[in-house]
Amino acid sequence: MKLLKEPLVHFLGGALLVFAFFWATGTNRDPADYTISISETDVARLQAGWVQNFRRVPTQDELDSLIDQEIKEEIYYREALRLGLDRNDPLIRRRLFTKMRFLDNQEGAEDNPSDAILQKWLDDNPDKYALSSTYDLEQIYLGRNTEQSIPAMLDRLNQGTVNPDTIRQAISLPTKLTQADAFAITRQFGEKFAAGLNGLAIGQWQGPIESGFGQHLAKVTSKTPGKSPALDDVRQAVTNDWRAAQTAALEEAAFDEYRAQYDIEVTGRE
Amino acid sequence: MRKALLLAACSAALAISGCSNDGGSGGSDANVTNTEYPEQVFWGDTHLHTDNSIDAFGFGTRLDAEAALRFAKGEEVTASKGAKAKLSRPLDFLVIADHSDAVGATKALYEAPRIALLGNEFLLRWHDMMHESDEGSLAVTAELIDGAAAGTLPEGLFDPEESAERIMSLWTEHGETLDEYNEPGKFTAFHGFEYTPMPGGDNLHRVVMFRDGADKTSTMLPFASFDAGDPEQLWAYMGAYEKSTGGKVLAIPHNSNVSNGRMFAMNKLDGSPIDEAYIKTRALREPIVEVTQIKGDSESHPFLSPNDEFANYGDAGWDKCNLSCGKDMPPESYGGSYAREALKRGLEFTQKMGANPFKFGMIGSTDSHTSLATADENNFFGKHSGNEINNKDRALAPQNLGTRKGRFGWNYLSSGYAAVWATSNTREAIFDAMMRREVYATTGPRMQVRFFGGFDFAEGDTGDLVKTGYSKGVPMGGDLTGGDGKAPTFLVSALMDPESANLDRIQVVKGWVDADGNSQEKIYNVSWSSPDSRKVGADGKLAAVGNTVDLAKGTWENNIGAPELVTWWQDPDFDATQNAFYYVRVLEIPTPTWPVYDALKFGLTLPDDVIKIQQERAYSSPIWYTPAAATS
Repeated sequence: MKLLKEPLVHFLGGALLVFAFFWATGTNRDPADYTISISETDVARLQAGWVQNFRRVPTQDELDSLIDQEIKEEIYYREALRLGLDRNDPLIRRRLFTKMRFLDNQEGAEDNPSDAILQKWLDDNPDKYALSSTYDLEQIYLGRNTEQSIPAMLDRLNQGTVNPDTIRQAISLPTKLTQADAFAITRQFGEKFAAGLNGLAIGQWQGPIESGFGQHLAKVTSKTPGKSPALDDVRQAVTNDWRAAQTAALEEAAFDEYRAQYDIEVTGRE
Repeated sequence: MRKALLLAACSAALAISGCSNDGGSGGSDANVTNTEYPEQVFWGDTHLHTDNSIDAFGFGTRLDAEAALRFAKGEEVTASKGAKAKLSRPLDFLVIADHSDAVGATKALYEAPRIALLGNEFLLRWHDMMHESDEGSLAVTAELIDGAAAGTLPEGLFDPEESAERIMSLWTEHGETLDEYNEPGKFTAFHGFEYTPMPGGDNLHRVVMFRDGADKTSTMLPFASFDAGDPEQLWAYMGAYEKSTGGKVLAIPHNSNVSNGRMFAMNKLDGSPIDEAYIKTRALREPIVEVTQIKGDSESHPFLSPNDEFANYGDAGWDKCNLSCGKDMPPESYGGSYAREALKRGLEFTQKMGANPFKFGMIGSTDSHTSLATADENNFFGKHSGNEINNKDRALAPQNLGTRKGRFGWNYLSSGYAAVWATSNTREAIFDAMMRREVYATTGPRMQVRFFGGFDFAEGDTGDLVKTGYSKGVPMGGDLTGGDGKAPTFLVSALMDPESANLDRIQVVKGWVDADGNSQEKIYNVSWSSPDSRKVGADGKLAAVGNTVDLAKGTWENNIGAPELVTWWQDPDFDATQNAFYYVRVLEIPTPTWPVYDALKFGLTLPDDVIKIQQERAYSSPIWYTPAAATS
């Protein structure tokens, strides 16, 4: 019975029931719309508000007038809605907007993602967690403007006919790095230098490589390509990122669902 | 974020099952190997506000702690006013220091159902103003700051006792977020808050930071100043925290420049004389001071240091009136407002009372109210979200923090960061380095500064400066005592930030107490670029480094200055009987200020009085010399 699952059928059925009710009772008003019940919780709330303002419990008279005020407010509120006074009010519009967003965030969110969910996130975003390549390297700082011929220097270095220490300018940067990842290299030498190492052949002196300090020659003695970490190594970061993405995605999905129901025209926009 | 919402929903529905917290922690400091001595400098901001600060939220910040942490770790986020924001390089650590007074209150007020506020006309008015427009929200914040400074807020508003439950739930949840983002060895997320007393608008603010995780910090509420505006009360709270949890906590005074002379006053807040107990407690609780940040630089002032041609950095706009700008500050008050003078006062106390209440190291931080810890001139996101990077008027507009008197957008600095020499990037190691003052301040660039003092350094020791420094002397923040009359020697080095400018010079700032008991100061140029062509003149001043700034392009050339300066130095005017301190100031070559980048971006014409070129700098913590007989 596919027809029974159609929302339109439910809607029409419901409307029919409401119509039947009004027809049967001979009125055109829903009694629920004109019922106001003040429960114990409401009274407690009013009382608490009073205590907060006046630092004492209200007398019975005061409480009665609070309740009457509450009833009056509720009646005016409902009548205002019937008159459509809530329309075109930027304050009300903004508040309802905030409330809807809050509601939409709540639905379908999961607080304790399983390992499978996290592993999938890790697999889907490999670049974010990939351990960077690590380098063993030596470098020679040449200063800002070296007057010597760099090709000649490189030749002699690669032939082993010159001691690197006789070429380098003094600066308190490490001359040798071991197992250094991109982060460690950037932190010491800056981004330009780290980028300059990309694609350098292994085992020979090359250059010049620029950094914020000036020029360098470098010899990469070994390079270990980066790999994906195991979930256990990055569990907290993955959880944090997954949760943040989840919140954003839920909000977006909720909005998209509403938006799909609208035809939107903006003058001048294609 | 998600958790915050869940928590709000849970507390509203009161203990529905499934609302438990699963805790979670990013690992333990114990799993990280510490180096034998501090090999690395770690960069951080100890003073960042998020949407939980009442003023930050009022100014329009909508980014929460989680966004702040992700940004500090190097991720791109969307700022509250829509611009994409990313740091050029990640930070190593972060202290989120939201105002403890009514923490989260403007956010709660904004989000509260209007009907709940109907009985309170005062709050209702604010609530409606905040919802009406951005201007309304700014106006509420200004009223709030003014009211707090003038003491005219309604009695019981934001009463700590009444809001204790709300704050405890916020504080607990915040602590859990911090623990989740804390990654020992990679990124350190500290627990902290800002304690914000301002009697009559005089700034006595302190950032409070903990060495511990949520298991300890959640046992107490962040200490509020509304009913406890005397810093001695804060120190008592800190003592009580340490006693009851076995944890550790320190406080960082800041913006002494707008304290109207009260941050480093010669007496207690109530006017009574400083006694031994006060000295001991203050020195223990406040080992470091934040001397440079968005609201100006508090290291020095030309009125106090007329012979220092670099003393005026970051003073313009901040030396005329106090924080709320409700009171003028006469130059006679400056002695209690600037760090160099405070260090000198400290020596006078040592001389008179045998102990020093102002024995502090120096750091920089942002005090940014945008959740974005930015400190680069070309990536400055403003003091608060009303002044973010896409606001064309921010450089020239009067700033309505309190009143419209005195301050303009360009008076705000894009400063600064805290540099910490620690043995690992962990809560324990960084906190402990701060306690021993092995830290320095920068106005943004990440230059590496080393400073060691000892009695036996030789000129050749600069070859292996760090190892020799630690083995034969003490690092910045340390003490030299006795020395058999030998003049102290120092090893100093400064390596430029590879993403910033060359260095102009290294100076040693010396303070001492003369035979009459009066403190004095002198500045020595100890190392500078192009020493062959730049000489010290008869007036003792070193020839300026020059200027390569092209204002039409917002660029400079690193063809003046030096990538690194290294030297050995011995005090030529040493008197073994006089208490003294020595700290280092490192200057970069001139570079453009942030309004220059704004002017280029928005096509503005900057008036003459706007500072367009500056020399960014670093201030090390001092090394103190004390004659053998005395104690420090």
